[in-house]
Amino acid sequence: MITLEKIRPKIEALDAMPTVPAIIQPLTSMLRLPPEEVSLDKVVMIVSYDSTLTAQCLRMANSPLFGRLNTETVRSAVIALGLKRVEAILLGCCLNRIVPPDKWVLDRMTFWRHSLGCALVSSRLAKLIRYPDPEKAYLAGLLHDVGILVNTLACTDEFRKCVQAARDGHLELDRSEAEHLGFTHCQSGRILAKRWNFSADVTEVVEYHHKVAAAQTAVPLVALVHLSDLLCRLRDLGYGYYEAISVDLARDQAWTLLVEHCPALAKVDLARLTMDIDGAMDEIVTTVDAVFKPQA
Amino acid sequence: METGTAKAVTKPGAEDLSDPAYLRIRDVIYQASGIYHPDEKLYLLAARCARRMSALKASTPAQYLEQLAFRGNREAELRLLLNEITIGETYMFRSPAQLAALRNVVLPQILEAKSARGFKRLHLWSAGCSTGEEPYTLAMFLLEESVKLLAGWSFDILATDLNDNSLTVAKAGIYGEYALRNTTEQLRRKYFKPHDDKRLQVNDQLKSLIRFDRVNLSNDSKMTCLKGMDLIFCCNVLIYFDLSSKRKVIQHFHSNLLPGGYLFLGHAESLYRVDDRFRLVHFPGGIGYWKPPAGYAGGGQP
Repeated sequence: MITLEKIRPKIEALDAMPTVPAIIQPLTSMLRLPPEEVSLDKVVMIVSYDSTLTAQCLRMANSPLFGRLNTETVRSAVIALGLKRVEAILLGCCLNRIVPPDKWVLDRMTFWRHSLGCALVSSRLAKLIRYPDPEKAYLAGLLHDVGILVNTLACTDEFRKCVQAARDGHLELDRSEAEHLGFTHCQSGRILAKRWNFSADVTEVVEYHHKVAAAQTAVPLVALVHLSDLLCRLRDLGYGYYEAISVDLARDQAWTLLVEHCPALAKVDLARLTMDIDGAMDEIVTTVDAVFKPQA
Repeated sequence: METGTAKAVTKPGAEDLSDPAYLRIRDVIYQASGIYHPDEKLYLLAARCARRMSALKASTPAQYLEQLAFRGNREAELRLLLNEITIGETYMFRSPAQLAALRNVVLPQILEAKSARGFKRLHLWSAGCSTGEEPYTLAMFLLEESVKLLAGWSFDILATDLNDNSLTVAKAGIYGEYALRNTTEQLRRKYFKPHDDKRLQVNDQLKSLIRFDRVNLSNDSKMTCLKGMDLIFCCNVLIYFDLSSKRKVIQHFHSNLLPGGYLFLGHAESLYRVDDRFRLVHFPGGIGYWKPPAGYAGGGQP
């Protein structure tokens, strides 16, 4: 049996791979400065260096979710998106490149539909429940499944079998991983999150989004992304196969934890909330497809 | 759009959705009927309102809202609008996601629980079956599953409606292209026979699974007799009931269902403020209302 220890060196080597673009360092350190010290000109310049990043920023800014701005310049796209959204797009681009085109196990578009879908639902849910940092929720939703990319790269054949078993049995992916690999994408994702210096709360989301009760400091964020992940998988933005799941959301541990942090939630009409999110799904799919097509 | 404003929704030929009156109309409908239109579907609501507005010669949504909310003809107008909203929803295999959930999630749960207690028969009820599309869909679905999932199981379907004309049509089982638009060629050949050059009639095998009956859901003595159901389907019927009658019907449904059974409503319909003994459960592509067995404490997945 393959173990996490055996693949750890492979995972830790990922950031040395030449496919990780050189811009990740200057841009993320720039974006971590206090907002008044960030130079918009420099951000625009850095983004413009990378054609994929430029294209994705423009497509996102021109997507229905941003009201189809018809933006043509990087500068106006960056302003419309906001710096945090630009950072999320950057990380998505970098992650997209660590998997060579012929190596994807979950289909590339399926993976990004799920990840970007989860990001959009997370930020929408964050606003609905008045979570203080919707952009953080967006980033955490986008990155929560990086472990799937790690498994794709570090143990491609074993992971392929594991996904096939999940597909055949309509199983949840993490259950199939635990059975066939002995570890889940949460555990392998955590190693990458640490190596790539994800913030502590996003790292917790990566590690605990299938085990919310184990979250330590970022409990509301982990719970929020867990629920968004579930909602996406329940609404055709999952892993590309049918998962035989039924969820009593109001009794889901994540919902209970969120209610503890935000008592007003107990009164939320869950049927209406989920119908609101259902309503947004079509636009989310349109946006994801616009941003990630063609091959980035 | 993420903040959920209505004005970015643009569909060709649409009314001015930024008019806040549409949001009020949406709330009136939701509170009265449980039918909800998310922001992205407001254009549908506006289109339905437009037909009623031209009938009433109301020139703005605000004028129409007044008719709908404050005038003496509120009940009647609401009913007419709900008719517009649910029009065209009746055809066979209307909700593939619901059938997939039955096949992959709901029935496996119920079969496991029932067979543990030695039962091998399923009871389904289409409450408000209208002209019969729903019960015949369920009958085809069950027959198709009877070779695999339901091997060794028997089943029956009760189909009821208040309207005698609808029941007559349902019993005859003669359908045209609209009702059959989602029915595959293979299923048409298997379960239908030609009626005339435009219509097909369901065969005797399908009919034999269904018992049609006239039932008024508000009739307590009749409702009390219909016990032991595993699944109840009640699509776009309760929307016409006021809150207290709705509560009563739901209470009956609850006692009509076996523990572990499910109630399914129309796809945009919900039990808003009606009953908290049912658990709202999400499946891939849909929701259902679950009657938990005694001792259910939650934990996310039933």
